[in-house]
Amino acid sequence: MSEAALVGLFVATVQFGTLVFLAALGELIAERAGVLNLGVEGMMAMGAVSGFMVGLETGSPWAAFFAAAAVGALVGGLHALVSVVMGADQVVSGLALTIGGLGLAAYVGRNVVGERPETLFTDLGIAGLADIRWFGDIFFNQPPVVYLAVLLGLAVWFVLARTRLGLALRAVGESAPTTDAVGHSVMALRSAAVMVGGAFAGAAGSFLSLYMAPGWTEGMVAGRGWIAVALVIFGAWRPGRLALGALLFGFTLALQPRLQTFDIEILGLDVSSISPALLGILPFVLTVVVLVIISWRHRHRPSVAPAALGLPYRREER
Amino acid sequence: MMRPVLIRRERVVPATQAVAFVVGIATALVLGLILLWTSGHSPAEVYERMFDAAFMGTDSLARTLERATPLALTGLAVAVAGSMGLWNIGAEGQMMAGATIAAGVAMGADGLSGPLLIALMVVSGVAGGMVLMLGPALARSHLGVSEIITTLMLVYVAIRVVEWLETGPWKDPESFGFAVIEPVPEQASLPGLFGRAHIGTLIALGLLLVFSLAVSRTAWGYELRLAGSSPNTARYAGISLRRKVLTALLLSGGIAGLAGAVQLTGSATRLESGLSNGYGFAGIIVAALALMRPSGVVVAAFVFGAVQVGGQSIQTLGVSSAISDILQAMILFAALVAAVFFNYRIRWRGPAGRESSDDEQAEAGDDALTMEGV
Repeated sequence: MSEAALVGLFVATVQFGTLVFLAALGELIAERAGVLNLGVEGMMAMGAVSGFMVGLETGSPWAAFFAAAAVGALVGGLHALVSVVMGADQVVSGLALTIGGLGLAAYVGRNVVGERPETLFTDLGIAGLADIRWFGDIFFNQPPVVYLAVLLGLAVWFVLARTRLGLALRAVGESAPTTDAVGHSVMALRSAAVMVGGAFAGAAGSFLSLYMAPGWTEGMVAGRGWIAVALVIFGAWRPGRLALGALLFGFTLALQPRLQTFDIEILGLDVSSISPALLGILPFVLTVVVLVIISWRHRHRPSVAPAALGLPYRREER
Repeated sequence: MMRPVLIRRERVVPATQAVAFVVGIATALVLGLILLWTSGHSPAEVYERMFDAAFMGTDSLARTLERATPLALTGLAVAVAGSMGLWNIGAEGQMMAGATIAAGVAMGADGLSGPLLIALMVVSGVAGGMVLMLGPALARSHLGVSEIITTLMLVYVAIRVVEWLETGPWKDPESFGFAVIEPVPEQASLPGLFGRAHIGTLIALGLLLVFSLAVSRTAWGYELRLAGSSPNTARYAGISLRRKVLTALLLSGGIAGLAGAVQLTGSATRLESGLSNGYGFAGIIVAALALMRPSGVVVAAFVFGAVQVGGQSIQTLGVSSAISDILQAMILFAALVAAVFFNYRIRWRGPAGRESSDDEQAEAGDDALTMEGV
């Protein structure tokens, strides 16, 4: 395996990691407020297609990025309306969001399949640092979305851990009646959390369609939205651990298309002879294995999940 | 500021879910109409074509039944797990696993007579679905790992394994270079009913009836529902929750696997990565609309079968078949919202208008199945 290939693997690790981190960070916000949103896959698809179309139209990746975030927030708003305001089952609503979002994305994007926008996100070589051997390319010569994701991660951590708003959000995720009694609006907090979460997922989708795999094809999200949902559990609902998990999953996602080109043997088996389809199961198997290991290690400890996660709240219900 | 408050109705509208379903269909059709109209199609023409393709004439009805069959089976699979509060959202993958094992058996035993081979394939299909469910089921029952994530992850695994089989080990040597698996033997096709409909429909209806009776009339079914609705009570009654979770999930996986075998022997000519065709995912909507009740699964599967046949037919009008996915999701959303309105009434309250102090969270709290994570 060449040095360039190895650096390329880690460059891609950071990028795939950013993709799932952004989406998972959004899901983390919603879940900390007590709302499970299984619609991440659909929101990412909607973000990917709308971002791509705005990118085609305007030629500005940033306009596309924020448009995708707005669409993601809007789609998340539907989940908020149905599951938070109306109090319907969060699992059902989220699944409908994924199925409907994938369908709508396919419909909306049917005429732009195969097109390529003129401007995509470009790598941001940070002066002086980008030239450092190995580390320069991996950490200091990435597209701006990577650095934005780091900043957003820090911001989410700060808001959740250090501000009154964060306290209220975490409280509503633990016990809605208590938060309500204190005078915060449960509906407003939870709806806002779900919509901000949707914006993150939508933005992640546009990173996919405007940088990682430029263009739009049906099914291009390919399960990364679901990996993001699993990542929140892996990250124990904490932004810091989420980032570590994102790098781990980013590594597997980056490894899968590259493994074939590496001239290495594992246990006497030539890796390049393994079918790409079979290597494609790697991230998904890893997710299951990791979830099982975490649960095994935590089997005697109380759950760290937000206590009110998935439970609808209706005020003054009798 | 006035704000809406939802208050549970004391008298519930009769047949709530059936009405909600109808409202859902109507709402979805209206929203679909707007979508079609804004993208330059004639909604009347599109809907007429969909209706004709799904209902007019025996061939059309047969096609609807052909599609309703896997939907009913995957819907039942989801409902079996759902009747104890579990979510099998990986029926899509278990269907693939079932079809894969059934196809493998057919390759090895193609000398057998038709009925024997079909029986063997159906049984191995059930086994295939169960095998894929085994990991998630054990993780859920013994470690409390969310079955939602694990069952879904294995969908991608199952589909990619079939893609691998297509390109490599099971590639048909007579396929002129195309990456396809050899067709299932001639004698291994389910007897037809009329048109494209086959007796898989009767198998599905029979299973739904059996499950309906088992859940409502047997001690096993009672325990299953009890374990789902109030685990603590079930525990005091000496019911093993672990075993119940395990059986419900394995059964669910087995039925989804059966759906794969039925699809392979009834409709498909060969195992292919597109065989499950979203039936497993649509089955979740079917079961959710049916509130996990077998009778509801029958109705919802039929309607969704019709929507899908209609969605295919409008491609000749230049309309994307993605419309049918959108319609299905919108039916579910609208029905969810409608059901809330049927069970609750809205009262507008001013800031000082709090009449009740006993705020209660609509949660099962301690008495719900606990799990790590989701």
